[in-house]
Amino acid sequence: MTRCDETTLVAIVDDDDAVRAALQGLLRAVGFSSRSFESAEAFLDSGHQRETGCLIVDIRMPGMSGLELQARLNAEHCKIPTIFITAHGDEEMRFQALRAGAVEFLPKPFDDEVLIESVRAALQC
Amino acid sequence: MDSDGRINLAPRPAWSMARRYGLAFFSVIVALVAARVLLYFHSPQTFGAFALSAIAVTFWYAGTAPGVLSAVLSSIVRDYFFEPGIGTESRLLFDLVFLVFALLMSRVVKERNDLEVRVAARTEDLTRSNEDLKRRIAERNQAEYLTGQVFESSPDSILIIGTDYTYKRVNPVHARNWGMSPESIVGMQVANLLGAEFFEHKIRPFLDRCFAGVDTRFEEWFETVRGRRYLAVSYSPLRSGSQRVEAALVISRDLTEHVVASEALRQTQADLAHVNRLTTMGELTATLAHEVNQPIAAASTCASTCVLWLTRDDPDVGEAREAALGAVRNAKRAADIVNGIRAISRKGESKRQPVDMSELIQEIVSLLRNEAQRFSITIRAELGENLPRVMADSVQVQQVMMNLIMNAIDAMKTVDRKRELTIRSQLWEGPQLMFVVSDTGIGLPQQQARKIFDAFYTTKPNGIGMGLRISRSIVESHGGRLWAAENSPWGARFHFTLPTETVPED
Repeated sequence: MTRCDETTLVAIVDDDDAVRAALQGLLRAVGFSSRSFESAEAFLDSGHQRETGCLIVDIRMPGMSGLELQARLNAEHCKIPTIFITAHGDEEMRFQALRAGAVEFLPKPFDDEVLIESVRAALQC
Repeated sequence: MDSDGRINLAPRPAWSMARRYGLAFFSVIVALVAARVLLYFHSPQTFGAFALSAIAVTFWYAGTAPGVLSAVLSSIVRDYFFEPGIGTESRLLFDLVFLVFALLMSRVVKERNDLEVRVAARTEDLTRSNEDLKRRIAERNQAEYLTGQVFESSPDSILIIGTDYTYKRVNPVHARNWGMSPESIVGMQVANLLGAEFFEHKIRPFLDRCFAGVDTRFEEWFETVRGRRYLAVSYSPLRSGSQRVEAALVISRDLTEHVVASEALRQTQADLAHVNRLTTMGELTATLAHEVNQPIAAASTCASTCVLWLTRDDPDVGEAREAALGAVRNAKRAADIVNGIRAISRKGESKRQPVDMSELIQEIVSLLRNEAQRFSITIRAELGENLPRVMADSVQVQQVMMNLIMNAIDAMKTVDRKRELTIRSQLWEGPQLMFVVSDTGIGLPQQQARKIFDAFYTTKPNGIGMGLRISRSIVESHGGRLWAAENSPWGARFHFTLPTETVPED
């Protein structure tokens, strides 16, 4: 396993506590540093957008959805490679996400190796 | 006395004055003729005797005045026809005799008249009493007849048991229930018919309470010659004039068909409620899948993390352990959600137990929050603090909350304004708890606010229309109420109450 630059931040945005904790544990195990946020608004308010190398975001959340967050970041010229995860997943949503420039669209429960590879691809490690 | 030998107590018919005074003259003439012609004696004593008779007859039949006239006429006739030359002393003596006799007869007649008046009055009283007695006897006979008819014709089993625990009287229904004739049961010991053990343990205590003057009743299943029957039995003390209880009136009503029908209805309602739950859960498939997916995804990721820590060149057991524990936690969480779904979907007997409604509401909100988020609906729970528990079937109450929340979500799906669902709880009079589920949706149908609780009323294209009906039925079976009102400024409010748990006194 090749370790990437430990300063490259992976941001996890999901309203489910357990999913955030599990993803942070996984990323730590493969050597990535990460921060988690319970909502899209919390991520935007954090000011970490510029240092975020990859964004793992749930699509359906209270308030701003994952797709809306991506659109907002694009509008602010802050293009962060985004991996969408969702428990609802359907083809229409997948198409929408990929068309918006998503790196990957993973329905829950996802294959963790696919996720890790997608993060590496996003960080171009 | 009349021709039938009965004493005629009817009042004497009144004579005319002519007849009365005519009797005076006639009786004196008869006395005269009898004395002079019939006896061939010219004795004034003889005439005196006949005259006294005439005077008596006249007094008796014609009254005082004619009687006095007859006495005067007798004196004159005696003087003229029998002793024209008699001396004054003798004449006066005879006149005195007639006078005294007349006075005596006058008194006799007066007493007789008074007696007749009293007899007449007494007769009238007796007649009236007699008529009254006849009427009361007739009424009593009628009442006894009707009572007898009730006893004989009643569809219920009626019997009278004496303080010696023997049957005094039984009606045909009771006899038929035992396949015997009423005559064969009367006189039997109750224990001999019902069985000694059953009598001692079940029947005698009720009879003894009844003989002590207490009305009692109970309902239970009994094994009878007609099979297993549900009977409602009442024991009422029967008292004589001395107020001492002399017997027990036992009435037994067969409620088997009613109970069976009630049980069938209850089962049908339970089945319908179960279908409603399944239907609701079916509508929540996507939401429920999401709820289960989250912990499964987290458990899977934790397990992968554990493997990564253990397969490194430099394994970190501590990190692996933490990851494994995370997997276990999330797997358990997924299992809890599945169990919760199973519990809501189960079909079983209602179980009442103390329920913390704040906890229950939070669970339902957690389950449905995602469904609400699909339609950009915010759920707010403003729950009272330290509220007492309610005695309820948690599955049924969850069903009510789910129905109300799902209805609120449906009402807000298409509105353009802010979509907010609020759940409130508070202590209410009773003592009860009141819960309010309010939304900012399309509101109640105009002028049909009451109809929304009718069976099969629905505004949804694919709705069955039983959700609110069943919810109200559940709330009312718990002793509460469910009603709807318009919310301000938009939407609807659904209120329901539940009695709080009663803490048994020490």
